[in-house]
Amino acid sequence: MTTELPADIQSSSSEIQTDKPSSNWLPPGLALQKVDERIMTLNVGPQHPGSGHMRLIVQIDGDYIVACDPDPGYVHRGEEKMAEYRNYITNIPHLERPVIHDSCNMLYPYVLGVEELLGIEVPERAKYVRVIAAELNRCIYIMYWLAIYGIFLGHSTMFMWPTGDRELLIDLMEKMTGARVTHSHFIPGGVRNDLPANFEEVCLRQVNYFEKRIKEYAAVFYDNPILISRTQNTGVLSRQDAIRLGVTGSVLRASGIDFDVRKKEPYDVYDELDIQSIVMTEGDAYARSKIPWLDMMDSCNIIRQALQKMPKSGSVRVKLKPNPKGKGLDTVYKRVESGRGSLGCYIVSDGKPEPYRLKLSVPSFRNLIALPYLLKGEKLGNMPSVYWSLNYWPVEADR
Amino acid sequence: MSVIAPKFKLSGFIQSLLDNIFWILLLFVLIGLPAVFIILIVMPMPVLDGELLTPFLALSYLANPTRILPVIHAFMTTDIFRVMAFPGFGFAALLAASVIFAERKMMAKLQLRVGPFYCGKFEGILQLMGDGLKLISKEIIIPAKADKPIFWAAPVLFVATAAAFVALIPVAPGWVVADIDLGLLAVFAVIGFFPIITILSAWSANSKYPFIGGIRALFQMVSFEIPLILSLLGVVMVTGTLNLSEITASQSNFPWIIFLPIGAIVFFITMLAELERIPFDLPEAESEIVAGWLTELSGMLYGLVQLGSYLKLYAFAALFVVLFLGGWNGPMIIPAIPEQILTEGIEMGPITLTVDGLQSLFGNTITQEMLNGTFWFVLKTAGVIFFIILPRGVFPRVRVDILLNLGWTKLIGLCFINIFIALGLLYAGVLGPGGLQ
Amino acid sequence: MSSDSNKPVEEKPETKPVVKKPEEKSVELPKFEKDISDKIVEKFGDKVEVAFVKKDRVGINVSRENVHDVAEFIRDGLNYDHVESVSGVDYPQDNEIAVVYHIGSYSDPTLARQLLVLSTRAQREENPIPGNDATRLPTLRDIFYSVEFHEREIFEMFGVYFEGHPDNRRLLLPEDWADIPPLRKDFAIKGR
Repeated sequence: MTTELPADIQSSSSEIQTDKPSSNWLPPGLALQKVDERIMTLNVGPQHPGSGHMRLIVQIDGDYIVACDPDPGYVHRGEEKMAEYRNYITNIPHLERPVIHDSCNMLYPYVLGVEELLGIEVPERAKYVRVIAAELNRCIYIMYWLAIYGIFLGHSTMFMWPTGDRELLIDLMEKMTGARVTHSHFIPGGVRNDLPANFEEVCLRQVNYFEKRIKEYAAVFYDNPILISRTQNTGVLSRQDAIRLGVTGSVLRASGIDFDVRKKEPYDVYDELDIQSIVMTEGDAYARSKIPWLDMMDSCNIIRQALQKMPKSGSVRVKLKPNPKGKGLDTVYKRVESGRGSLGCYIVSDGKPEPYRLKLSVPSFRNLIALPYLLKGEKLGNMPSVYWSLNYWPVEADR
Repeated sequence: MSVIAPKFKLSGFIQSLLDNIFWILLLFVLIGLPAVFIILIVMPMPVLDGELLTPFLALSYLANPTRILPVIHAFMTTDIFRVMAFPGFGFAALLAASVIFAERKMMAKLQLRVGPFYCGKFEGILQLMGDGLKLISKEIIIPAKADKPIFWAAPVLFVATAAAFVALIPVAPGWVVADIDLGLLAVFAVIGFFPIITILSAWSANSKYPFIGGIRALFQMVSFEIPLILSLLGVVMVTGTLNLSEITASQSNFPWIIFLPIGAIVFFITMLAELERIPFDLPEAESEIVAGWLTELSGMLYGLVQLGSYLKLYAFAALFVVLFLGGWNGPMIIPAIPEQILTEGIEMGPITLTVDGLQSLFGNTITQEMLNGTFWFVLKTAGVIFFIILPRGVFPRVRVDILLNLGWTKLIGLCFINIFIALGLLYAGVLGPGGLQ
Repeated sequence: MSSDSNKPVEEKPETKPVVKKPEEKSVELPKFEKDISDKIVEKFGDKVEVAFVKKDRVGINVSRENVHDVAEFIRDGLNYDHVESVSGVDYPQDNEIAVVYHIGSYSDPTLARQLLVLSTRAQREENPIPGNDATRLPTLRDIFYSVEFHEREIFEMFGVYFEGHPDNRRLLLPEDWADIPPLRKDFAIKGR
């Protein structure tokens, strides 16, 4: 492990000696040198129930983690390279693939960026439809995340309940877009289809029930004394370190920094809606795991507001010319608040129908840097809770 | 519910029935009969009606349903029946299997799903058989660097130890495999084997995750054994005996949980830890260490460990019942077998059916007390097992340091409080000689 | 996925992308963003080039010699504190690889909307030997800690070696990857 960690996080007993890598093409994990008989190197992943599609090379001394080297890339699909070969419209279906549970938010910055490149103004109703879809998708993602957080802590009920309740919103999205998870609903110029008939009533009913349901999770999960004793004061990320490491989303807001792109740099109609942007100051795994749950209630609130304020009729898309292309040379960087944090899309256009370069700046990749930092000095039993509280989605980080 | 087969054909059905009958007959002749002979030759033959029962005689009895009852009776009085069937392994394994099924259904209901549903006609009742067949038919993969003899032996030892534990549990008055005076000490001795077997299995796999899991199991079991033993001292003090049957018999008026609730609670918590159940399933914490010390086990080796752990679950629940809930004691609700049937036979219109061995069988072996005792014992055990399963639905896993802290400080302290309560009750004369009991 | 490194470059943009082109001054620029770019120009003069000033975005082009100093000034003088995104852009026609840092601020609420787009360029090699050729840039990790994994990604995807980066290892690519860095323009996807 060659990352320099700040002095306030001390390793438990023995120091890992870091050799400078002799070759620049050193495979991951080899930089961790075994110097002490006491230290055991564990390969957590990629086939491990607690790793996701990534590998954590963890060195433990007894029950304490002395070093951790994350090795992502097992689901690297080259989305950015693919985007350079496809035009702006055919890029839509594959760019949502990194996080299919959050597919609307995954497409959002790209769509906003392409609209700025093409100079399109989106109809008002389409903006509200987008906000509703994005918030529903945020809830769907967080429910999935919460389910895995539950099973990571050995709480099987918390795995089953969110997976079941998530179906409510998935049904809504299916009604809205026709697909359960990979919607491809956002397109430059609006959304693909108008809302179906009486969607508003169904949506309001489902969202109200959903909110009532997720409030019940407090009793079984968030107020559970064992959960609190396990996650409080573990993996504490201080405010300064959160800024320094450049983390985002719920991780950042758990460390006491009020930064929500929806609020700070509103896109579409978020500036007309009341967004709470929950902030906690503890910075521990418990706060990080609670903020997404509170975010869901906020999302329900936003959906209700948007349903109320939405124009009842009107166009939802601007017809584009076939094969749209940018106006010559341009760059654009758009960001949105996804379920995991600020998600950016950097498009370099050279006036051709395909982007010259497309870069997704994904929150999972930005949060990954905090993982070796937080795990150092923690107990092995805290590894799953700290790891998953970072709101990390391996597929998204790899792109 | 599965639909009745749409392509049902009567001829096919009859053919399958005949097929089954053919195979049953063939297997019975080829395997069953020799097995019966072997058992009958090995077993010490009882004397029936003044005549030594030989294998040939026994087989000829088999053809006569009325004369088979003495054989059954004779068999039931043997030790091998006690060990293999009723209070011993078979009974416990049946209960353990039903525990697995009940657990899955119960967890499913807690988590708003249906659980096993399609295997078997009713509510997936054959799911367990399916799982068992799957485990049996799976390949057993042994890690290349494993210490093979120990790796093979550990699951077998695990089941054997669990079965030894089961043997000490009195189910009904007089129905216990090993009725020894130091029964509770024997229980502690048997429990002491589990960490050793666990660490042997974990170490012999020569793999990292089993090793960590084994160490965790060792930590957990050793540190919880002390409060486990201490929590039972109160019962021993107020009864003055270590014999489990006598402890049960002493609770004919009231169970000890009324006087020693702290001991019962501590014993229950330590029981969860010894059984590696959530919230104390650290040795098998799948998100941290894959499956703990079970990681490298596959196929029926894994199945054996599962069987052993559920036997252990049953045995611990039974021990709780025996020590704190009064064991077989309970109101007599099983009706007595009518005297008339035993003595005069069953009147069916003009015919009176008299069965020779019925009186001896129901008069001496399957008595009313035995049936009633078994009923209450099973009912109470099922209740305790329900509470053992319940935390799995509502608790996450604890961490090692919290667990050890709980075991070494809080539980041991509570144990001593419990012992003081027991002593106080004894010296105040509430319990013990001259007291309530 | 593999490629033929000897394959000639098929796709060439007709003109140079905009990052080199100065903004037309006729348009009225947003004031707050203009102030930021003015401060940088005031401090460094000719060493920096303002690529664009748009709403909430300020683009600065710097040569690789000065990028470290400029980044240091951006952190200390302008209160930017973290890097959101580091993107590499390959320009085979210029024989250069641009590395674009999108720098934001959490600690200064007035800068929350802002992103400073710091762009620098490294020399490009036709036959790259990642880590051992002239495609090098000074690392910004000692200034912005958050670029650590981003720069590792740029290193494997473009072959830009960051001098002074303590951990120039592969991140996403497989361990046995022996082809040219895959996000370069001359790495062609098969069948396309």
